Amino acid sequence: MRLLEFESKAILKKYQISTPRGRVFTSPQELSIDSPVVLKAQIPIGGRGKKGGVLEASTTEDARTKMEQLFSRNLGGYRPKKILVEERVDVAQEFFMGIVYDALAKAPVVIFSRDGGVDIEELVLRKPEKVSRGRFSVRSGLHQYRAREIVSDTGISGKQLLGISAILSRLANIFLDFDATLAEINPLVLTGDGQFMALDCHLEIDDDALVRHKDLMEIEKDMDRVESERSMTEFERKAAEIDALDHRGVAGRVIEFNGSLGLIIGGGGASLTAFDAVKAHGGKPANYCEIGGNPSVLKVKELTKLIVSRPNVKKIAVIMNVVSNTRVDLMARGVVKGILEAGKVPAETVAIFRVPGAWEEEGFKILSKYGVPYCDRSVSIDEAARMAVENSSI
Amino acid sequence: MGEFIKVEINFSRCTGIKGCGGCVRVCPVNIFVENGSNPAVILENEDECTLCNLCVGACVHDAITIRRLYEE
Repeated sequence: MRLLEFESKAILKKYQISTPRGRVFTSPQELSIDSPVVLKAQIPIGGRGKKGGVLEASTTEDARTKMEQLFSRNLGGYRPKKILVEERVDVAQEFFMGIVYDALAKAPVVIFSRDGGVDIEELVLRKPEKVSRGRFSVRSGLHQYRAREIVSDTGISGKQLLGISAILSRLANIFLDFDATLAEINPLVLTGDGQFMALDCHLEIDDDALVRHKDLMEIEKDMDRVESERSMTEFERKAAEIDALDHRGVAGRVIEFNGSLGLIIGGGGASLTAFDAVKAHGGKPANYCEIGGNPSVLKVKELTKLIVSRPNVKKIAVIMNVVSNTRVDLMARGVVKGILEAGKVPAETVAIFRVPGAWEEEGFKILSKYGVPYCDRSVSIDEAARMAVENSSI
Repeated sequence: MGEFIKVEINFSRCTGIKGCGGCVRVCPVNIFVENGSNPAVILENEDECTLCNLCVGACVHDAITIRRLYEE
């Protein structure tokens, strides 16, 4: 879940990181200013300034006009429903700090640059001496001394070093406390009067950890938060509700298409591979979805029922890579039960069941009993997709 | 009721929650529940059974049987 700028800044303030004075508006009529301001569209995408989502104004009339412009703009597929109006800050110097999770090192990594602003990715290539990196442990957090080492590696010293490293250390606390996958302040600025301030902030929270942050979960449910060009379909909304039934595994992330072959496919790369393979063999998917992490029988059952109940769905293909933590027998139970509860016949509804791996002997016994066509790991995902397309046209 | 799994408690052997209650404590998928002084099976959860057999091992009086209906 990506937090909007004002939501992220509210968290920064709780951790004593200064941000410009500002307020969120939902209509221009309430706006009245007595000093220059910056109007910022609250949308969950990067590069907002370049897309025309950040405007400046000096008078109330000018600010209202520009706010109306922002409300009516389509910015990268989003139409803002909230505008953050902030005091214009006198910037003397800009910095960048970000924390992401390094999956290879299995630790968060800090990236700090003594130059902030847009196009930070290019700066890393052009002037690598201005950028430093360092990892820290999720158990001990980012100690002050380590934060200072990372910042001083870019040549910053004295009072600036102490001020910036203190903010970096607090950002690391936010990263850990909120189960973030990304925490970024860009730019962190030094104002004309010598104060450090976060002008923009980007926080992304691990979706699977939202259960630990009830307040953020409520924010995510707020339908008035953002308006995207393509809103969730009823089918996708129901699938998301199924995925939220319990914490075990994933059985959701559904995207609706208008084909006739329903897909229950393994998460991550395997689901994309299976989806592409079905398309490559001339199949017309009715949906994309992701299954993984050993979902409960209940979740698989409900998702299967939802997919096979769509009027345009004639058959479904259940395709996953070789599974280790997901159990084949539990998948088989869920799929068969979902089809039965939808009032259909498993043998006639499943085009192919290709989920090899843990507990496959038990799973194959279930599929055999109901006459469901299945195959093991000797059949590739691509071959299984071909069989699914072939069987679904019978 | 389970489509694939049937979990049965033999109450002529079961000594109840006070006497044992092991099944309710160990089941990782909450198939058992306290029903007064006895354990009971939540029928709609039966198919969540992972066949871990922890309940069978915890039951000192061998009162629990797990049947795989798809093998019958």
